Amino acid sequence: MRKLLSFVTAAVLGIFTSGVAMAAAEAAPAGGDYSRAALAIAAGLAIAIGAFGAALGQGRLAAAAMESIGRNPNAADRIQLPMILGLAFIEALALYAFVIAFFLQGKI
Amino acid sequence: MEHPFTWYSLLPYPINLIAEPNFTALVVMLVLIVLALAFRKSLQRAKDPAIPDEGVTVRNVMEVLVEIVVGLSDSIIGKKGRKYVPLFGTLFLFILIGNFFGLIPGITPPTSDFFVNLGMGLVVFVAYNYFGVRENGAHYFKQFMGPMLLLAPLFILIEFFSHIFRPISLSIRLFGNMFGDHLVLEIFSNLTKLVIPVAFYILGSLVSVIQAAVFMILSVIYVAMAISHEH
Repeated sequence: MRKLLSFVTAAVLGIFTSGVAMAAAEAAPAGGDYSRAALAIAAGLAIAIGAFGAALGQGRLAAAAMESIGRNPNAADRIQLPMILGLAFIEALALYAFVIAFFLQGKI
Repeated sequence: MEHPFTWYSLLPYPINLIAEPNFTALVVMLVLIVLALAFRKSLQRAKDPAIPDEGVTVRNVMEVLVEIVVGLSDSIIGKKGRKYVPLFGTLFLFILIGNFFGLIPGITPPTSDFFVNLGMGLVVFVAYNYFGVRENGAHYFKQFMGPMLLLAPLFILIEFFSHIFRPISLSIRLFGNMFGDHLVLEIFSNLTKLVIPVAFYILGSLVSVIQAAVFMILSVIYVAMAISHEH
């Protein structure tokens, strides 16, 4: 898990820094293309990372809710409402990422 | 990205001046008014209002919706929340019908426009602050000060931003859900014309109901936090 995380971070950093370095090196003549490529990558990464985090959070929440309903099925009604609320709060974070990704995508 | 076909683009010139989300919102309001009038008429015509109709009628559907809203407000605020139910019911019904309008091909739901949602969020924001002041008087402002006077400047800043952000997060949540849902539906309908979009229609109707409920539940909670006495 840690290995994977460090690999992902390294890959992300690599992509960004190389993009910036190349854009800086090429400068004026084909400069527009690199900024568009960076925008495209950024839009994809924004929603991907946002959805990744929200999925982890929602998975944990749903697992905990299912477990407690399994232990005490009578409490299902009282667990459901806070569960949906929690899901909505976590979902909002993914949606912020979605909105940003959409704006970035519109700028390409 | 080319814009897909909408029924709105067929409208003639003078009606065209109303922007698309506003026009759809007006249609939703019209549907709501017709539903409410039909409900009222069927209640008046009923021999005994306590006995429900048979089968699926306007009256039964509306009674179920009213029961959902009243039950939620009762379980979170308690009996004294009854006088705020019209606000929650209005929000819930408008968002629910608006979201369902988005499932009709060629219609963009009014709730997938950010500013329509921001309007509703601001109404909730003003309403719960007003209810709080009316219920608790000057004590309402004490909740912004934190536990002790020394920390008040810090707490006022924190509370200010957390309160300001409430209507914005309410509206972004609804906007993102409905807009994203609509976009996914559109993309998959373009990719595969048959069968597959049905799955996204099911997802879409689920999201429509849940988001309408979430918007209402959160506004109920904000009002409950504003009018409660123990702070």
